[in-house]
Amino acid sequence: MLPRLRRFARVITRNLQDADDLVQVAVEKALIRAEQWRPGSRMDSWMFGIMKNAWIDEIRARRRRERVHAPEEAGADIGDASAEARDIALSVQAAMARLPEEQRMAIALVLVEGFSYKDAAETLAIPIGTLTSRLARGREALQAILGDSGKAG
Amino acid sequence: MKFSDETLMAYADGELDLVARAEIEAAMAEDPAIARAVERHRAFAARVKSAYGGVLEEPVPERLADLVKGPVAAPVVDLAAKRAERAEARATIGRWRLPQWSALAASVAVGLFVGMLLMRGPSAPYEESEAGLVARGELDDALTQQLAGSVGTGRVRVGISFRDRGGAYCRTFHLEREAPLAGLACRSGEEWKLQLLAAASAREGELRPAAAMPMAVLHAVDAAIEGEPLDAAAESAARDAGWRTNSDVAE
Repeated sequence: MLPRLRRFARVITRNLQDADDLVQVAVEKALIRAEQWRPGSRMDSWMFGIMKNAWIDEIRARRRRERVHAPEEAGADIGDASAEARDIALSVQAAMARLPEEQRMAIALVLVEGFSYKDAAETLAIPIGTLTSRLARGREALQAILGDSGKAG
Repeated sequence: MKFSDETLMAYADGELDLVARAEIEAAMAEDPAIARAVERHRAFAARVKSAYGGVLEEPVPERLADLVKGPVAAPVVDLAAKRAERAEARATIGRWRLPQWSALAASVAVGLFVGMLLMRGPSAPYEESEAGLVARGELDDALTQQLAGSVGTGRVRVGISFRDRGGAYCRTFHLEREAPLAGLACRSGEEWKLQLLAAASAREGELRPAAAMPMAVLHAVDAAIEGEPLDAAAESAARDAGWRTNSDVAE
């Protein structure tokens, strides 16, 4: 479970330090609120929901503090992939970093975690129509940033 | 036939129903541009996913792994001191009680959550039933058969046995495994219902099983116990009677 929490955190926070801090905060919150988790329901979905809320709280606090929050570039957190795979991963992560939080979260759940639209919408506590439109807008924006809109393959 | 990009993405994600899927597949067969668009969405989704694949392979930093190891405070149980504390608590005014119980509720929940995180899978020594988590396999056997303090051959060591305020028999246990667990189980019908599971530290030696009992378990015992822990004779008699209580017999 922890590696998946870290991955989700990496997608939505955009950098390694924030990501692991978020995992820590979320696990602590989960331990405190463990009685709210319904046995039989998806624990991953419940944890991601906690992470989403914790991250939104965090960025609100940062915006209050700084007013402007410049997105940090994705750092050297790709593992030991081949140089080419690393470049692609970096460019995708850098492009993701430029999307609004809400689109990034939709992409994190559906494309990275493989959630169904329904499960993703429930996790984020939004209507499914909202989820699909955030997902579509996020994808279009990403493709535009990466310069492969219209290209096949 | 014209489809929105959103619809084609949903198709690529496997989200459309049969009818919509058939329509798109028919359109793809006729119009290569639609087929290419779908393929592009699929490839793009795979690319995004693989960009984050490396995170799963990374070792989890210790500070995060430590979080789910739970409470590992490992005092030697001093029952005499515990009894004195408890008597003192009872002597104080009633408002002490409520926070005590809510702290117990919180620690039970935390213990169970940590337990679920630590130990999922088919070999878990407990399973979910309508009644909550109940002991299974070696844990069930040991709780039913093993006398407290005896050094069995299995991985389970029973700590103390006592009756709770409802009269039911309860027993603490320690389960030796890669990530040791300790807990409290109470008899409910024909089963041992788990009241608390918590991560424990490894036992330091055969003769000090109590050394590994986490604080959360001790607190749970304190809050639940009525009277004193069973002595060896009472425990043995309770076991031989199948852990039934008078109210069970009356039913």
